[in-house]
Amino acid sequence: MQLNPNAGVATATPHLRKSLMLAGCALLMAAGAAHAEDTKDWQVDSAVLYYKESAGRVQAIEPVINVKHDFGDEHILGLKFTYDSLTGGSPTGGVVATSSQTTVSPSGKSYTTVKPGDIPLDSNFKDQRFALDGSWSQPLGNDFKVALGTGFSHERDFTAATANAGLSKDFLQHNLTVNLGVSGEYDRINPVGGIPGALTNAAFNLRSGNESRNGVGGQLGFTMVMSRNWLLRANFNYDRSSGYQTDPYKIVSVVSSNGTVAGSLYESRPDQRARKSVYVESRVGLRNDDALSISYRRMQDDWGIHSDTAEVKYHYAIDDRTYVEPHIRWYQQTAADFYSVMLHSGAAVPTYVSADSRLGAFSAPTVGIKVGRTDEDGNELSVRLDYYQQTGKNVEKGPGILAPYDLYPGMKAVMLQVGWRFGL
Amino acid sequence: MSAATRVEEGVRVERRPGGLHAACFSAMASPCEVLVDTTSAELALEVGSRAAREAWRIEQRYSRYQPESVLSALNASNGKPVEMDAETTALLEYARRCHVESDGWFDVTSGVLRRAWRFDGSHNIPAAERVSKLLSLVGFQKLILDPPFLSVPTGMELDLGGIGKEYAVDRALMLATIGTTAPVLVNFGGDLACHGVPQSGPWQIGVERPGAHASAAMVLELASSGGLATSGDTHRYLLQEGRRLGHILNPRTGWPVEGGPASVTVAAGSCLEAGTLATFALLKGAGAEAFLREQGVRYWLL
Repeated sequence: MQLNPNAGVATATPHLRKSLMLAGCALLMAAGAAHAEDTKDWQVDSAVLYYKESAGRVQAIEPVINVKHDFGDEHILGLKFTYDSLTGGSPTGGVVATSSQTTVSPSGKSYTTVKPGDIPLDSNFKDQRFALDGSWSQPLGNDFKVALGTGFSHERDFTAATANAGLSKDFLQHNLTVNLGVSGEYDRINPVGGIPGALTNAAFNLRSGNESRNGVGGQLGFTMVMSRNWLLRANFNYDRSSGYQTDPYKIVSVVSSNGTVAGSLYESRPDQRARKSVYVESRVGLRNDDALSISYRRMQDDWGIHSDTAEVKYHYAIDDRTYVEPHIRWYQQTAADFYSVMLHSGAAVPTYVSADSRLGAFSAPTVGIKVGRTDEDGNELSVRLDYYQQTGKNVEKGPGILAPYDLYPGMKAVMLQVGWRFGL
Repeated sequence: MSAATRVEEGVRVERRPGGLHAACFSAMASPCEVLVDTTSAELALEVGSRAAREAWRIEQRYSRYQPESVLSALNASNGKPVEMDAETTALLEYARRCHVESDGWFDVTSGVLRRAWRFDGSHNIPAAERVSKLLSLVGFQKLILDPPFLSVPTGMELDLGGIGKEYAVDRALMLATIGTTAPVLVNFGGDLACHGVPQSGPWQIGVERPGAHASAAMVLELASSGGLATSGDTHRYLLQEGRRLGHILNPRTGWPVEGGPASVTVAAGSCLEAGTLATFALLKGAGAEAFLREQGVRYWLL
C-alpha cells in the first residue's frame, strides 16, 4: 500500500478541483433544504384552559388539541378538537333579591333559592361541549391561495355547524396580501324543557319544541408589510344571523314601585341581527426578537351595541428560547336598544326586552402575562394567566328597597392556560 | 458492546465510545451510519432519521434497479426528450462537467459495457466484436442535454454509480446538521463526510482495505469538515494471460484501464469531490498517483 497522507504539495487549488467544487455546490443546493422540512410531519398544539368566575359562577376546563400537517408545497391540513366542561351558575337576568327568591330550573325539576342581596343564578348549570374543526389550505395556480374550513360543535342544548371559504392573493412583490372570505353557520337550539314562550310568566315555565337560526358572513382582509420590521393588518367583517336569537334561560324581573319583585317574564329578542366590524393591527419588530403589537376593533350591530376593543401586547425575548409576553386589553360596549335590567309593573311590556348582562353597557379590562420556553427540539411550553373584570355602566337604579343595590351583575374571572406545542 | 437504545422506521440508535451516538440504517446496498456527538439518543435519532430519509429519497430517485426511479424513466424514454426537475438537471450538469474535465474518460453512459464484462476473477474475456458493438451506445456527447430537457438515445443508459452515493452522503450531512450544532459524521458504506469536531477529539475512521491484511486496516483522522471516498474494488477483476484486469473500463476502448491501482481513497472538501477525484485517478491508470499529487489532496492507494 502506498500511503501518502501529506500529499498537499500543490499550493494553489488546481483548476479541476475548482471546477468540480463549483458544480458540486450547485448540485448540493439544487434540491434545496425543502426535504428537511418533512422531518416534523405533524405539528401539535395542545393546551388546557382553566377559567373561573368569582362568586361561584361559571367554572370551565377546556382542553384543546390543534393538529397541523403540511403535505408539502403549502398544502396544509388542520384539525382541532375542543372539549369544554362547564359548571357553576350563570345569572338568570333577574334582579337582586331583597328577600329570598326562588327560581325554578328550566326542566321544572329543581328550585334555586337566592339569599337576599344576591344575584339570582341558574346554579344547576352543568354542561359539556365537544367541537371539531377542520381546515384545508393550498395554493391555487400561481397567484392565489385557497382556504376551506368546516366545524361542528355539540352540547346538551345547542348544536352548531359552520363552513367557511377564503381566497387570498399577493400583490406588490408579496408585500400586500388581500383576503376575501365567506362563512355560513347553522345552529340548533334545543333547551332543556323546550323553548319558553317569549314574555310569558317564568313562574309557569311554559316550554315546548326547539328552534334554529342561520347566519352568513363575509370578510375582506389586508396584510401589508410596511418595512422589514413593520406589519399592518386590517379586516372588515359583515355578518347577519336570522332565526331564534333569544337566550332560552334568561328572564326579566318585573319590579313594583316599592322595589319588590312582582314576578318575572322570559326575555324576547329580535330574530334578526346584523353585525359589522373593522379591525386594525400594527406589529413592530424591535431589537433582538422583541415585538410590539397594538390592535383596535370597532364592532357595531343593529341591536344598538357598539363595542371597542384595544389591546397592547409586548413580546419580550429573555434569551433565544424564553419569552415573556405581557398584555393589556380594554373592552367597552353600549347596551342593546332593548336591554333593561328590569321591567316596572304597570308599564307596557315592550316587544323585545332582555336583562342579559352581556347585552348591557359595560367595560372590561383584561391584564395578563404569558411565559414561554422552547426546548432543543423546538417544542414550546407556555403558561398564560389572565385577569378579567366586568363592570356595568349607566345601570338603572331600582326603586324603593332596591335602591341601595347595583343591579348589574358584574364579574371577575381568572384564566390559566398551559400549552405544549410539539412536532411528531 | 453497544446496545440498541431506540429503533424507529428502520433507523437504530446505538451508544458509541467517546460520548457519541450512532444512528444505523441501510441504504444503497450499504450499511450506513450517522455519528452524532451527543449524549442524547433522541437527538441522534432525529439527526440520523433526517439523513436516512434523504438517503432513501435519493436512492428511490436515482437507482437503476428501481423501475419507478427518475433514472429508469430517463433510460426508458427511447430518445424522446424528457423534462427533468432541478435536482436531476443539476446531477446531469455535474456529470457533464466531469466528462469535460476528464477529457471524456469519466462517462455516466459507460455502464452498458458491463453487459459484456463480468469481473468475477475468471478468465472470461468478452469477444472484441461484442465490446465494440456496445461501444456505440457509450458517449456523453451523444445525449441531447438541453436543460431542463434531456434525450437519451434508444439503447443508451445513464448510471450515476460514480457520483450518486457520494452526492447522497453530502446531502444527508447537509440535512442532518440542520437544527443542531452537534458535530456529525455521515458514513454510507465507506464513503463519508463530516461536519464539526467531536469534544473527544477528531473523527477517527477505520477503513478496511480489502485484499490487504487485517492489520493493514487504516485509521484515518478527518479534519473539522470534509469528505472521504474510495473508488475501485480489489475483488473485482479478470485474468488475461496472467495479467490482472481491474474493473474500471475505458469508455473509449471499452476495455479495462491498465496499470493503475486497484483502489483509490481520497480525502477532499466533500464526499462528492473526493469520490470524483478517486474515480478520475483510477481512470488515469498508471498516472493515478501523479494526478492525485497534482490535486493537492490526501490519498491512499492500494
